[in-house]
Formats: sequence, C-alpha cells, structure tokens
Amino acid sequence: MKARTVIPVAALVAVTTLGALGVGGRFWVANHLRRWSGKQDLAWASCLHCHGVSTARLAWAREKPRHPAPAGLALSFDGRRLYIALDEMNEVVEADTLSRRVIRSTRVPGGPTGLALDAKAGRLFVTCRSGDRLAVLNLKSFTETGSVSVGTAPVAVACFTTRLGDRLVVANSASDDVSIVSVSPLQELGRLGAGREPFAVAPAPDGSHALVANRLAGITRTDSVPASELTVVDVAAMRVVARQPLVSAHLSEGVASVPGRSWALTPLVKVRNLVPITQVALGWVMSSGLAISDFQHGTVTELPLDELNACFADPSGIAVDAAGRRAYITSGGGNVVSVVDLDQVGHWLEHATEAARQQAIDDLQLSSDYVLARIPTGPNPRQVVLSGNGRMLCVAERLADSVLVVDTTSLRPTGRIALGDGGDWDPIRRGERAFARASATFQGQFSCRSCHPDGHVDGLTYDFDVDGVGRDIVDNRSLQGVAGTGPFKWNGKNPSLAVQCGPRFARVLMRTEPFPKPELADLVAFIESLPPSRTLHPRGAPLTPAQDRGQKIFFATETPDGKEIPRAHQCSTCHRPPLYTTRLSFDVATRGPRDNTGTFDTPHLLGIGASAPYLHDGRAATLEEIWTLYNPEDRHGMTSYMTKHQLNDLIEFLKTL
Amino acid sequence: MNALACIFVPGLAAALAGCGDGRRAVPAGTLVLTQIPWASSATHGPRDLLDVRYPAGSRVVLARPPLGPDNVRVLSRGLLSAGSPIVSPDGQRIFFAGKAGSSSAWQIYEAHLNGGRPRPATSMPDGAMDPALLPDGDLVFSSPVPTAADAWSSAHRSAIYAQSPRGTPRRLTFGTAGATDPTVLADGRILFVSAQPASMASAASPRALFTVNNDGTELTAYAGQHDGLGFIGRPRELFDGYVAFLASKTVSPGDSVWAENVRAARPFLSREKMFPTAFGACRSLEPGRPGELLAALKPNEPAGRVGQRHFAIFQIDRLSGMRRELLFDDAERDNLEAALVAPRSRPMGHLSNAGPTRTTGLLLCLDVNRTTTPEIDGKNATAAVRVRVLGVGDHETSRALAEIPVQADGSFLAEVPADVPLGFETLDARGQTLLRLPPSIWVRPGETRSCPGCHAPHGRALDNRRPLAVNEPPVRIGEPAKALAQRDPAR
Repeated sequence: MKARTVIPVAALVAVTTLGALGVGGRFWVANHLRRWSGKQDLAWASCLHCHGVSTARLAWAREKPRHPAPAGLALSFDGRRLYIALDEMNEVVEADTLSRRVIRSTRVPGGPTGLALDAKAGRLFVTCRSGDRLAVLNLKSFTETGSVSVGTAPVAVACFTTRLGDRLVVANSASDDVSIVSVSPLQELGRLGAGREPFAVAPAPDGSHALVANRLAGITRTDSVPASELTVVDVAAMRVVARQPLVSAHLSEGVASVPGRSWALTPLVKVRNLVPITQVALGWVMSSGLAISDFQHGTVTELPLDELNACFADPSGIAVDAAGRRAYITSGGGNVVSVVDLDQVGHWLEHATEAARQQAIDDLQLSSDYVLARIPTGPNPRQVVLSGNGRMLCVAERLADSVLVVDTTSLRPTGRIALGDGGDWDPIRRGERAFARASATFQGQFSCRSCHPDGHVDGLTYDFDVDGVGRDIVDNRSLQGVAGTGPFKWNGKNPSLAVQCGPRFARVLMRTEPFPKPELADLVAFIESLPPSRTLHPRGAPLTPAQDRGQKIFFATETPDGKEIPRAHQCSTCHRPPLYTTRLSFDVATRGPRDNTGTFDTPHLLGIGASAPYLHDGRAATLEEIWTLYNPEDRHGMTSYMTKHQLNDLIEFLKTL
Repeated sequence: MNALACIFVPGLAAALAGCGDGRRAVPAGTLVLTQIPWASSATHGPRDLLDVRYPAGSRVVLARPPLGPDNVRVLSRGLLSAGSPIVSPDGQRIFFAGKAGSSSAWQIYEAHLNGGRPRPATSMPDGAMDPALLPDGDLVFSSPVPTAADAWSSAHRSAIYAQSPRGTPRRLTFGTAGATDPTVLADGRILFVSAQPASMASAASPRALFTVNNDGTELTAYAGQHDGLGFIGRPRELFDGYVAFLASKTVSPGDSVWAENVRAARPFLSREKMFPTAFGACRSLEPGRPGELLAALKPNEPAGRVGQRHFAIFQIDRLSGMRRELLFDDAERDNLEAALVAPRSRPMGHLSNAGPTRTTGLLLCLDVNRTTTPEIDGKNATAAVRVRVLGVGDHETSRALAEIPVQADGSFLAEVPADVPLGFETLDARGQTLLRLPPSIWVRPGETRSCPGCHAPHGRALDNRRPLAVNEPPVRIGEPAKALAQRDPAR
C-alpha cells in the first residue's frame, strides 16, 4: 500500500482508538474517582487532581531572586552610622549617612530582621527570623561573635538594663512568645506568652518594662469583636504584668514609648470585619490609627491616622523624638510617613471627654488636628529610626531596596541610601509591590497586605456583599503555599489566581478598576512564590512519637478496633499529599445557618497549624474544635471513635505539615 | 491603476499622518476658554438656562501663546453659541456645550485639536450641558437643560447621565432635586451639585455637593449640606486635595458669586473663601499648572487696566491665593471657563456592582437611632422601632410605600425598588414620626446601599458589630403586612 493510503487509515484508526479510550477512559476515571472519594459530582475532576502532583514543581519550591530589602534599622546616636538588616541576603550592612554609602557588610545567616544597638558596648543584636536565633555582632570588627537560640521566627529585639544585669527582649512572631535573654552570659532565660504574632518591642517609659506589639488579634468567635493586645513585660522579674486590649485593632508592626509622658504608641489597623462589606468608603472595612496607652491614667485611646477621603494604609514602623514632641509613622501601603504632633495629641486628650476618646478612632476628620505632614516615600516604607537629636529620620523603603533620609526640620527628604537596584526586572518583586500598594483600592483604603500580612492570614472573618448581605461569612485563607491548590475561594468558584485577584476582586473589594494585566501577572507570580507558612516543627525533621501516631491516624483506613473507615471519611481522601488537598469540593456537614451552600473547596493543609481559626466561616478557634464541636456526623473525617489522646496526636501531626 | 494610486496613496498617507497616534502637540500654556460677546445682552426670548448663560455669539476658543485676542482659534465653528469647555485627560480633545441654531437644543460637542468641525456627542431631546469625562472615556453630562425661570423645578429637573462614545445615555441620578455641574474626582467618583432635601428642621432646599460612583451607586453627601448656600456651581478638584467651587447666598446670584474651596479631609469644617474681595466677582475656576489656578475674574479694582467691566482670565498663585497675573483678556468679550490644554492624570476607574437586569436593590441601615439630632421638639429621636419608606406620589408628594420593623440594635435591611426617589421616616412605638428624610436618595438595580444611621454624623466610620438585620432575609417592599408584623421585634 502506498503511503498516501496508509497514513489516512492509520490516522483514522488512531483517532477511533483514542476516542474510544477517551470515552471509556472517562467512564473509568469517573467510576474510579467516585469509588475513591464517595463523591458523585465529578464533572470536572481529572487524574491530575490526585496523581502527578509534586510540590517540587511549584513556584514556591523554586529558588527565587533575592533582593537587598531593608528589614530592620538601627541608627547610632549621632546619626552617622546606620545599620541595616537585609533578611533576604542574609547580611547586615553599615552605611554612612553623610555620604549615603554602604561602607561595610557582614554575613549573618538565618534571615537577619530586627536590630538593637548597644553602642556603649560596641554591639549590635540581630534577630534571625528563619534561623530562630539571636546573633551578636561586634561593631569594631563587624563580625558575628555570638548567637543564642530563641523562639520561632524572631523579628524584633530591644535592650534593657535591669538590676539583674543587661537583658534583651526578643519578639518571636511564630511561637507567639517573647524570649528574655541575658547579655552576659548570652543565654535565653525564659519565654513568656505574648499575644498573637508579637512583632515589635520597645522599652516602656520607665525603662524597666518591655512593650510588645502583637500583629494579629486573638482568636474570637465569629460574631465577637476582635482585639489584639499590647503586652507589657517586667523584664527583670520575667513576667507579663499587663495585657492591654486594643479593641477591633490588629496588624500592629511597631511600638514606641514617649519620653516625658507615660505613653506607649502603637500603630494599628482599626478593622470593621463584622460589618457587611457593602462599601469601602468612610473606613467601612478598615482604617489606620494610633493607640495611645496612657499608663498614668490607665487608659487606651485610639486616634485615626486616615482622613475622610484619603487613607494611609498599613501603618507599620514608628519613631518618637527624644523630646517626645513628634512621632513618625510609616504607611507601608500609602507610601508616606505621617508626622504626628504629640503636643497636639496631648492637648486633645486633656480636653476630650471619655465618650469622645472612645469614639475618636471613628472620627475621620480628627487627624488634621495633629498630623503635621505626610512625607512621600518609595514603595512600602516599614521600619523607621531617628537620630539622637531628632533631626535625621531614616526610613526603610523595603520594596525599593533603599533607605530614605529625611531632614525633620524641613520635613523633606535629603537623600537615599541605595542598597540595590530595586529589582524592577523581577516579576515577583513587582508583584510584591502590587501586593503592598494601597493606591489600587478606592481612596487607598487598604492593600492586599492589609488582610494578608506576609501573604498569610489576619485571622478574621468577613461578610462580602456579593454572596448576599449576612450570607456566606468567610474565614480569611492564607496565600502562603497556595500555588497549585486551585480552584480558589471557599466555594471553589475561582479557577485561578488571576481570576481571584482580577476583576472579581476589584468589584467586590477594591471598588476600583482591576489591576492592569501585566501587573496582575506579576501579582500572581508573587503569590505563587509564597512558601507554606512556617510551622513550629521544622519540615522534614523526624516526627516525634506523638506526631508519628498522628500520621498513622491521618492515613488510617480502619479504626483501632478493626472497623473500616469509609473511603469518603478518611482524612487522606480529600486531603491527599503532597498538597494535602484533592482540589475538589465536598460537603462535610459544616454548613451553618448563614451559608448558601454546604459544599466547600478542600483547603490544603500546608502550614495549617499557623492559620487559625478554622473551617470556612472561622467558627473553630482551634484544630481540636473542628472535630470536638463541629463534626457531629463524622463526615469531616471519622473522628468520633478517637480518644482525646488520639485526637491530640492527629493534631500534632497536622501541625507538622 | 497608476492614476488611482496617485489619488489614494497620498490621501492614505495624509490620513495616516493625520491619525498617527492621533495626537497633535500644542504649545505649553495653551488654553481653551469661553468667550461671550460683552456687548450682547441676553438673547431675545431665552428659553433655557444656557441661553442665558451663553447668549448667541458665545464661543469656545483655543488660545495659544502668546496669549491674546488675536491668537485664538474658534473650536465651536458653525454653532450659534457654545460654552463650558473641558479637556480630555490625554489633552487632545475638547468637549463643550453647544447650540447649533436658535430652535435646536443644547448638546455636548466634541472638537479635536487637529481641527475640523465639532461633532455632536449627545442627542438628548431636551438638551445636555456640563460635560465631564470618566476614566474610560465615557461622557458625563446633565440633562435636560432646565428652563431659565426655574432651573431647579421638580417638573423639569436635570439628572446626571453617562454615555459611552457610541452608546446610549445611562441615567445615574434619580433624586427629586435637580443634579447639575458634574465633575470627575481623582478617586473616580462623580461630584455634582444638587439640593439638600428639606428635613423637618429646615424647609429650605439649599444647594450642596454630592458624589456618586460612575454607575450612580453610593450617593454620598460631600460638602455644604448645612451651609444654606443658594447657589453652588462648577466644582473642580484642585491638585492639593481641595475642591473649589463658586458660591453665593442667593439662588440667582448674577455677579455676586465668589470662589470657595473645601478640603476633602474636612468638608464640613474648612469651607473658606479663596480670594480677597478686591479680586471681584468670579465666574470660573480651574486648576492650572501645579500650584496655580486659572480664574475668570472681574476685579473691583483695576488690574493693569482701568475701568474693567468684563471678565478676564487670571493666573493665581495657589499657595498665597493673593498674587494674580492677567493671563488672557479680550475687551470685547467676557472671557470665562479657561482650562489648560495639557494631558493630566487619569482618574481611578470603578467596576460597577449594579446588576442592570434587576429591578430592586437592597438598603442596609446599621442603626436608625444613630443621629446628630437625638432630640426633636422635646421628643427622643433615638427611640425608633419602625421605619416608614417613602416614595413619590402624585404632584410630587411623599407616599408611604411600607413600614418595616427595626431590629433591637436599630438596624434594618430592606429590598426596595431601584431607580426611584426614596425617603424615610423613623417611627417610635406609638407610630409618631421622629426623623424624616423626604424622597431624595435612590438605589441602583442590584446595589446594596448602606448607611450608618438616619441623619448620622458626617465623616465618621462605624462601630465594628454585625447588624442584627442581616441575620434574616431582607424585608421586601410589598411584603404582606401580616408577614411584616411577624418579623417586628417591637410587637
């Protein structure tokens, strides 16, 4: 036979065979999936929902460009030397503020983040966020001379002189505690429970207590008002002496005391997550503010930093001058430094009634009474430090790889210390800028980061208008480790991150126009680059006996007394490794009275230990509650047979993922 | 073939050259402005407001540096009269109100800097005026052009419309008072002038500034609500977060108009006059180059001229508000409404949440008892247990549409008809009216309109609490009274 006959015949046979295999294969696949999962509606399921999944191919598992982004700052008293922690580069550098040049650098492994300068002793203390340690640098040789292990993900440190000797207080953001460290000998003396995600430390006005700002609010019930806390620690006695609630407030990334006054200042986001998101204007969803904790009078007053039609999202770092007359607060989303006249604040507080103080945070016309200026900065200003005489302000422009130097007399920038090229060539860096930029939302009310600090969660639930007012109240889901786990949203309606973050997001939340396509692509690249949340148990480390027992329970196909656990009720059926999700939606009998549906997207479990609360509406405050309170029908895994110890073991295992 | 090529190729080349990117650079400092023949008093038998404002012979011109009456090009060529020019964000097109003939209606026209006759951009039967542009290029205007006798009568009131370049007009405002003078703010909202609805405390209807989104949702009071101004006109956003506008105590102010500005941060506290009295009457104000304003003034004292009786264009230093420099003058005409012809920042866009296929919207009030007037005529105005929803009945009277229960926390959620004026009365347990808002606000189809309270304090954010009303389905207007009674926690 000639080729021109053979080829069409072969093609016909091939098409017929493939077609038959396709149709038959589809039936086989559907039956296989139904048997496996117990789920009937599998119209869009494919082999790839369970097979061929590898975390190694995901964006977050690949090496990504590192940028010299300033994470922490410390300035010498005379303002001549600025020390800058570059967490991504594992370096600390020393810059000359006059010449605006970096003059020395040293390698500090473990993601150097927070800095505290002990100029008299010629030491610089450095917290290493990913290394879980505190390093000591000798300023003369500019080399690391000591190190001590502390809690998980330490981000900030401050120095104290106590009757028992010099002490350091370290905020451990992932283990929710603070380490008390003696300087000589360098050793951790103990850990004290802080609030949720302690993120900044500063000496109290009396110098003997530490003020610790916590980034997240404590876990609350769905309809309860959230509150974060300002933790006050007696450093010498090593005990927490006060937990001052900041009501409806969270995302505090800085804290400072005010010389000459008995105040602590904590920048915060005033959140209104219980109000349906029917609009965003007038601080409907959130607004920026500053908490003034007056220790003399025992009061806490929250004042707005926003204006009526202009917002300054994501307040972050704070510095107060030695005279206690001005505070400088960075707005990481608004790209400004707000200059607050503390005399005016004091005057206002003196004359305010109790009712006025209580309602001050909601008065969006108030800030013009005490905000002197808004100094524009580069992208994402975070940490801020002042020289001893208060004349020089240095602002870490985190996503520009630079430090802005400001003359506080004229309130104008005088120059920049360039640490890198800004990384405009890197789509992940561009995406991170889009993530942190509040100007994409109506009147700059908030950024993506306002609800997802570091791409993680704020631990709150929200009521989006699009699902019906008062309907489908949803827990905020982490973006860390989210690559490859689509579809997204609790109802699984968004097939990709581009859809999730595109026009729908603009319509529902930003109330503006969508990100332009190139910027949206960058944003997705950034989100996909976020690795799963850190866990208290290092990934890949050997499991403890309890975790090992929990792992066996997770993959169990029968109960300890030999009863078979139906396939659909086994943990690993829906939460299948390596992502611990099949990316399908199931009804596991968690529908609440406000839900429009009982079928929800199966969340991945990577980093699950750090993303409380749980379930689609955040009703479970802890992992335990998922099964002890909200699994009466055993449809969310068969757990009713478990003893308390077995459930504890299961949870111990989940916390390692 | 060759002959055809000779004809078409140069033509094509010329067309391409003309189009290119369609842009023609104009010298820095070029202005577009309205000129009204000074000698001409009102035209015979003016029919509507614009006939009075822009009598026959009024024109829109392009003035290039060196600025002077002899260096202008008429953009409204072929029209009987024209005025109210605005410049597109790309600085390439001019939109203005124009009238083709004495019997035709005012429409919005578009003129390109490239030249050519102006093209009508609207064809509203009762005319269109006050052009503005949305970030997506849609034209915003008010229509109909009201009569000269009563520009704010409810019978012939203006509304704000938006229209895509080749689309049909979409009405955005549905209040009982007229809506005029739209301008687009940097945050994407449309700022416009309307009348503050008369309340129980005040029977008058002073002018005030309001905003809506580009789809007519989220009607919001902006400024002037309690100031009793009889006239507000030509609001314009300046570069420094202020909004400037013309104001007067009287409804028909003539030349007794002054310029004011209000800071967006403190709309109700910082209204202030912009210029000293010596600057005289002001007829228009536009942002100029950064730090500068362009104002049409008729000074009370000579400003380089003696006995000036007409309006000329002045450049004013924004910071001092005192230094002025005569920029353009033509002694034969009033020179008004000058705007800089230059590209400027595009305002923020907005994706609509409204659903055009629906006929209703939702209204969520967080607490009807949250009010700035806690006591009225000795009555406790914060004891409301029900709300009466009002619509417009015959002869523009208020008509009760329904009474709906208020939850224990003061909240209510109602499904209400869209695109009609709605008002509210709060009622106490005895059914007595406590607070009243006459029909004046609206919801768009599919919109969830929310408000913190009734006559709630301006410029205040909310308490963080979940309103009880959202725990139940919204009350539908038209729901049987028996069903409503069952949902009433007060009964």
